[in-house]
Amino acid sequence: MSENNGFRQGMQIAFRLGTELTVATFIGAMLGYGVDRFFGVRPWGLAVGVILGGAAGSLNVYRAAMLLTTEDQNTKEDDDNS
Amino acid sequence: MESPLHHFEVHTIIPIHIGGLDLSINNAVVAMWVGLAIVAGSFMLAVSRGVSPIPGKLQSILEISLEFIRSMVYEFIGEDEGKKYVPFIASLFLFILACNLIGLIPGSYTITSQLAVTGAFAVGIFILTLVIGFGKHGMHFLGILVPPGVPKIMIPLMVPIEIISMLARPISLAVRLFANMTAGHTVLAVLFGLAMTGPLWLGWLPFSFTIVINGLEIAIAFIQAYIFTTLTCVYIGDVIKLH
Repeated sequence: MSENNGFRQGMQIAFRLGTELTVATFIGAMLGYGVDRFFGVRPWGLAVGVILGGAAGSLNVYRAAMLLTTEDQNTKEDDDNS
Repeated sequence: MESPLHHFEVHTIIPIHIGGLDLSINNAVVAMWVGLAIVAGSFMLAVSRGVSPIPGKLQSILEISLEFIRSMVYEFIGEDEGKKYVPFIASLFLFILACNLIGLIPGSYTITSQLAVTGAFAVGIFILTLVIGFGKHGMHFLGILVPPGVPKIMIPLMVPIEIISMLARPISLAVRLFANMTAGHTVLAVLFGLAMTGPLWLGWLPFSFTIVINGLEIAIAFIQAYIFTTLTCVYIGDVIKLH
């Protein structure tokens, strides 16, 4: 199944990175909102939560991208060796 | 004119209520059973005929798919550790793929377009990664929350970020599969609706689009099953390697 590796990886990037960022920001916002509700510190929990969530989302996207680029290099090296 | 979301509705077929719990058999459950029967049945059929060194058609398909899944698991988890996860990942991949493909048959039901189903998969995988992590590393597993090479002063900031990114994993896993399947089927339903309501000299245009998009949906069924299982492998691999 290695012949359409490029296509598969392209699709993986396309479907993966978008949701990764959105969902992490959403989770951060929800956690912040929960903190607001329980501790009554409105609006600080939400404000901090969105920022932390955005940071977590960026981190996830960065990690996914790094994973994909290292895979890419590995396949290139394999091609060179063969 | 039916709503384009009509085919996502759940209809009860055999109502079963046990102590306030609604355990009714509905069309989603039947679709899930069919998916299960196809996956389990095709393997049983291939094995019951006798596994021959020169594989027949069915045996070749199943062998190729299992080898593909095994190479994927070895790539992301590692060959020694990954061996025991191959059956789990293989059943996950084949079941999701079967359910995605069953959904494309007109009149059937796509269970992967229900957030409850994909969410149950994702939460199960999340709990599995936690169990593997704590079982393998004990309390050192909490070190996954502190990435290596972070200055001490940044740790109070990094821990909440890592917790959020951990929690985001199962949800993004569930949302990706659910959203892609729901979106594709809604587009198909809208185009069919246009084809049915328009006059014939105009209706052939959206109808021919539905054929193209159906082909695309078959590709998406494979790709989504592949992405779901790849990410499961990546998450299990992360937990085992711990950075």
